[in-house]
Amino acid sequence: MSKIISLLKKDFLIETSYKLAFLFNIFGVISSLLIYFFIDKLFGQRISPHLEEFGINYFSYVLLSMAFFSYIGVGIGSFSSRIRAEQIQGTLESLLVTPTKISIILLSMGLWNLIFATIDVFIYISLGVILFNINFTNVNLISTLAVLILTIISFSSLGILSASFIMIFKRGNPVAWIINTLEGLLGGVYFPVKVMPAFLQFLARFLPITYAIRAMQLAVYKGHTVFELKNELLFLFLFSCLLLPLSFTSFSYALKKARLQGSLLQY
Amino acid sequence: MNTTIIETKEITKLFWSPLSLSKISRLDLKRTKPVKALDQISFKCDKGSTLVVLGPNGAGKTTLLKIISTLVLADKGEVKIAGYKVGKDDEKIKSKIGLASGEERSFYWRLTGRQNLEFFASLYGMDKNEIKSRLEILFKLFKIDYQEKRFDTYSTGMKRRFSLIRALIHDPEILLLDEPTKSLDYNCRQELTKLIKELTMKGKTVILATHDIQEAENLSSLFMILNKGRLCGFGSKEELSKKIGLGATNLAKVYLTLTENV
Repeated sequence: MSKIISLLKKDFLIETSYKLAFLFNIFGVISSLLIYFFIDKLFGQRISPHLEEFGINYFSYVLLSMAFFSYIGVGIGSFSSRIRAEQIQGTLESLLVTPTKISIILLSMGLWNLIFATIDVFIYISLGVILFNINFTNVNLISTLAVLILTIISFSSLGILSASFIMIFKRGNPVAWIINTLEGLLGGVYFPVKVMPAFLQFLARFLPITYAIRAMQLAVYKGHTVFELKNELLFLFLFSCLLLPLSFTSFSYALKKARLQGSLLQY
Repeated sequence: MNTTIIETKEITKLFWSPLSLSKISRLDLKRTKPVKALDQISFKCDKGSTLVVLGPNGAGKTTLLKIISTLVLADKGEVKIAGYKVGKDDEKIKSKIGLASGEERSFYWRLTGRQNLEFFASLYGMDKNEIKSRLEILFKLFKIDYQEKRFDTYSTGMKRRFSLIRALIHDPEILLLDEPTKSLDYNCRQELTKLIKELTMKGKTVILATHDIQEAENLSSLFMILNKGRLCGFGSKEELSKKIGLGATNLAKVYLTLTENV
């Protein structure tokens, strides 16, 4: 536990040494919200029929998706970017020469990502309530939490899988590329899946993000219970069960490969 | 009675170059001959001894230290540290080893020198009080007056001192030093030489890689000479001289004779 705290403290100290970054993050959230606010003004009426099952307008939908996407995005991208940063800084060897289990290092990275994503979500939700008067009173906290936990586990597993590629190939990460491309297009982050043609909707059924976004919208805006979301939660659970051990195994293999190649310091 | 603390048996390490794009485009997937960084290296090192690994650039000195420190895996052979096998009992080995690599960029440059050392010390399981008292001793020893400066603002020599402090912070049984005096001023070199001698007196084992013959002679009487990954000689200066048929002579002559024959 003390090692995890030390790793988190180190991340906090490094992050706060970049003083402008946090401020620009807030501006980034505000500007992206304004973009979708105006898109809603222009085209919201046309999308509304596709959002009937959630009982909300387009802006409310996209705000929650983007807030929630912070967790998914950091889950996928940040493990690989953190490993890459350690390679470039030359600190990966210094970390690995200490008697610290790789699972502890990965766990601390995951926790730090989670803290950071939570700050983003807090900004999104606060702005939504204060500036745009979005109603979150129907939220079912238990099912929201269940969706959140399973989503974090499944997407962090994908993130660790993606970091395995970075460990060996340094650049060029097929997992991150495929996931990021498919997520944005098919996952229902920026528009509901129902808007897409039937064959794309069929493909979307195989992506965990589709279930995660849908379950989150229903839990937050319609107050659906865990039982009502059983299909989505079951899919996310199976996905987590499959990916979590696979990701740790692949990362251990990648680390061993990098040690055999003597490439821990290469970038 | 001498106890063997480091033992390697015929370790071989190959480094393959990645396939070039032009070769891949010609569908020629046959890999070029690898570089043999280490070729069947076997040796034993006793507890409380200082072994100086000598060799020209590219001899395999750093690779050897990295294999002992578990950062690089050997392709063949076996390495045992204090009875534990590298590749199997790595966690146990890591807590017994302190490594000061030749790499300058191995610290977090956005943190201060002290923050860096506190962080790495905590990864060895040391508590706050232990870290504080240990750092006080080591800062004094290495004459570090400005511990709160951001790491990127330190001079090269100062960064080197921090690297040595990090290697010593958890009071390891085995110290692996890769060209430790590089970029250090004369006074600090003298202090380090004194410190290494004190450490071995206390039963610590030091393996030090260098290509500075003078420094090697000052530090130890046990030498390993590597060239192109091969072990050219292992033993005291006298033993090495005898091996190549020279009488009492200086280490430089022994080194040159041994490395020229490879």
